[in-house]
Amino acid sequence: MINNTDIIEVKDVSFSYDVSEEDSGKAPRLALDGISVTIEKGSYTAILGSNGSGKSTLAKIIDILEVPDSGKVVIFGKDAGNDDLFWDIRSHCSYVFQNPDNQIVGTMIEEDVAFGPENLGIPNPELRERVDQALKDVGLYELRHRETMALSGGQKQKLAIAGALAMHPDILILDEATAMLDPSSRDDFLMLVEKMREDKGLTLITITHDMTEALRCDKIIIVDKGKAVMEGRPEEIFLSDELWKYGLKRPVKYNFAFEIAALTGNTITIDDLRSDETLIDSLTKMLQKPGIKIPEFIPEEESKAEEDIIMSVKNLSYTYSGGEAKAIDDISLDIRKGEVLGIVGESGCGKTTLISHMNAIFRPVNGDVIIHTKDGDLSCKNKKDTMKIRQNVGLVFQYPEYQLFDETVFKDIGYGLKKMKISSKEQTVRIRNAAWRVGLTEKELNASPFELSGGQKRRAAMAGVLVMNPGILVLDEPASGLDPRGRQEMFSIIKSLKDSGTTIVLVSHNMDEAAVNCDRLCLIENGKIKAIGTPKELFDKKRAEELGIQTPGITRFSGLLKSRLEKIYPRVKFTDMYFDPSMEAKAVVSSVNKAGDADAK
Amino acid sequence: MLNNISLGRYYPAHSFLHDTDPRVKTILYFVYLVAIFMIKEPVSVAVLAGIIILQLILGKITPGILWSTVKPMIPLALFIFLINVFTIKEGNVLFSWKIITITGYGLGRAAIMSVRLIFLIISTSILLTLTTTPLKMSDALESLFAPLQIIKVPVHEMAMMMSIALRFIPTLAAETDKIMKAQQSRGADYDTGSFIKKIKGYITVLIPLFVSSFRRADELAVAMDARCYSGGKGRTKLNPLKLTLKDVLAGIVFALLAVLVVVIDFTLR
Repeated sequence: MINNTDIIEVKDVSFSYDVSEEDSGKAPRLALDGISVTIEKGSYTAILGSNGSGKSTLAKIIDILEVPDSGKVVIFGKDAGNDDLFWDIRSHCSYVFQNPDNQIVGTMIEEDVAFGPENLGIPNPELRERVDQALKDVGLYELRHRETMALSGGQKQKLAIAGALAMHPDILILDEATAMLDPSSRDDFLMLVEKMREDKGLTLITITHDMTEALRCDKIIIVDKGKAVMEGRPEEIFLSDELWKYGLKRPVKYNFAFEIAALTGNTITIDDLRSDETLIDSLTKMLQKPGIKIPEFIPEEESKAEEDIIMSVKNLSYTYSGGEAKAIDDISLDIRKGEVLGIVGESGCGKTTLISHMNAIFRPVNGDVIIHTKDGDLSCKNKKDTMKIRQNVGLVFQYPEYQLFDETVFKDIGYGLKKMKISSKEQTVRIRNAAWRVGLTEKELNASPFELSGGQKRRAAMAGVLVMNPGILVLDEPASGLDPRGRQEMFSIIKSLKDSGTTIVLVSHNMDEAAVNCDRLCLIENGKIKAIGTPKELFDKKRAEELGIQTPGITRFSGLLKSRLEKIYPRVKFTDMYFDPSMEAKAVVSSVNKAGDADAK
Repeated sequence: MLNNISLGRYYPAHSFLHDTDPRVKTILYFVYLVAIFMIKEPVSVAVLAGIIILQLILGKITPGILWSTVKPMIPLALFIFLINVFTIKEGNVLFSWKIITITGYGLGRAAIMSVRLIFLIISTSILLTLTTTPLKMSDALESLFAPLQIIKVPVHEMAMMMSIALRFIPTLAAETDKIMKAQQSRGADYDTGSFIKKIKGYITVLIPLFVSSFRRADELAVAMDARCYSGGKGRTKLNPLKLTLKDVLAGIVFALLAVLVVVIDFTLR
């Protein structure tokens, strides 16, 4: 039996956030509803769940940042209900939050790292040693006298880790700590945290919406409506068909594998999911079975974007005042009518600067942006055209929900229309139409924007731009911070906007989503266009290597499987690649089928 | 535009002034504050300017950094100058046309007023914000006002609030910029229209800014809680303030220089 000093034990815990006076008649909504979980010392656990499922609350209960209404929390044998142990427990548990800007207390890097141990009353010189060691551990020691605000997002999160390590914790909780990072800083950050876990024997608890990230853990706990609904090793969890019910889904490569299994009349077992190796072994076996008959895969006609150019970016450069390097450097880009153009690249590469020029929020200084409309060309350089340009090009920044301000969602959506000379009747029609396009109901239209859930707020903010009926919609990371279901819904909204004829420019970090949803991708590096083309062109193995870009997860996994199959069937030809797991699965199975038939003859 | 805000910004460097004890700098600041408002003779102004240049050198503050702190205040200084020029009617008249009268005395007064404002900004910057991190500054205030704790003034808490407020200035400036851009994309126009219209327009920035500030405050409070913050009791300091002989001497020398300026001024009257 496991000694109870080696586990974190949460038993029958219920918790509700305080309700305001006027709502006190109603029963308080339980954030946690009799939840019980155990987490072993030194383990690596992921807590998954949809937005608002109670997963953050659970983590806060473990750090005693919230005190349960009922139930028991025992951390490594110490009862959290005991007031004398309160500080002892909290000082051994560190918490890293999602938004780096809202957890930095110090102006200088070393001051911020020292904040925690100072609170613990650690005297010098031990304090100095701890701070220096923590900064060395995360690789920020050289920068210790710099300002915290000068750091990049990834560095700020590393700073938060240093602040946590300086407290010498036993437990480290990451609450969506990677959500605001781009893929490479995310990997970098996770490697660092995992190394710290090994070096210092930390118990690591991570809350995440990223299913691929959850695969790195030893154990997954799924929280839904304040209850722990599933618990187990990643392979057990991802075998289940119930994930969607909880707003989650399988990692992309698993979706692909399950599709292949279904097409070949097999099922994936838990042993298959042990590792990529075992999974590819069994997929190969499934595909080797003779006599698989599936209808021949006929690739869908690719939607040919019209050749009409709707926006031309011409030799655009921009340098921020006080900045030395150019934020964007001689960018020329034609956007075709009706396409979804993805703009990808690391944080700070100039994506946001580029799109800010597209509706004259930044007026072009060097170069120009021309919008081609029915009524002639509009130049972003021309001040007089500004309003017309903004009606033609809708720009939705990242986390647009933070711009809502009006009394009701209805009024907020209609804000932009007030500046246009149209009748109030027409305004109402337009507002309703915009709300309908993003899937907001009548009830939500009459509510205050601040009462909506996170995902609804985001859609309301999008509707506020759509209401101007822009021909071009520019979206900066529209799905960031949403759970897998929310992301999927967001992309189906984008798809339907495209289908109704809107041209879309989509800024994204997520290569898998960009590859599936975009017709063309534009890769930006250090303010310059490095490559532009269809996802198939860019993620072609050779080309991707040349460009040094990370290919989507599906392409990497499918590539492994394909190269294995090529050894078995020398004549097999994988002519095409797809980024949608089920399409890719069909294409692979169908190619193997053909090769098998040819061999039989 | 708001990204370039330098009010309350720290300028990281190693210099004599950066290393000087913040308590000494705070006291000196008040001494210079008084001196700046007492002098009016051009000679003493020039001497004070000399002292300020010396301080700039000791703080390794480049002309560029200095300019970025002074620049935002130029319009205000100009405004004060013009108001004084046109309203002061004493002294020998240099120019007169209809209701406009410019006098030599008025010009002198106006110049002194705007120079004082500029000196005030420069002194605040070099003695406090540019060379002292907000945390050190709050440490200094906490230490200087510590006696007030006897009469139950929450000195530590106030110092902490101040340092956090300063720490969040760049964050909130960036946020304001972001919200303005987002509203502009929806057709907001902050540049044209009447004054009233402009003020009204800013509501679309202020409400989201308030909401987000509250959210940030909330998150920061939880984050501080998670890092075991529980007020000033039992807290240690990574860089405790240490008053050295050098600090005391620097304090005395600069305080005497300020007195000297005032004395020069009074003898010239």
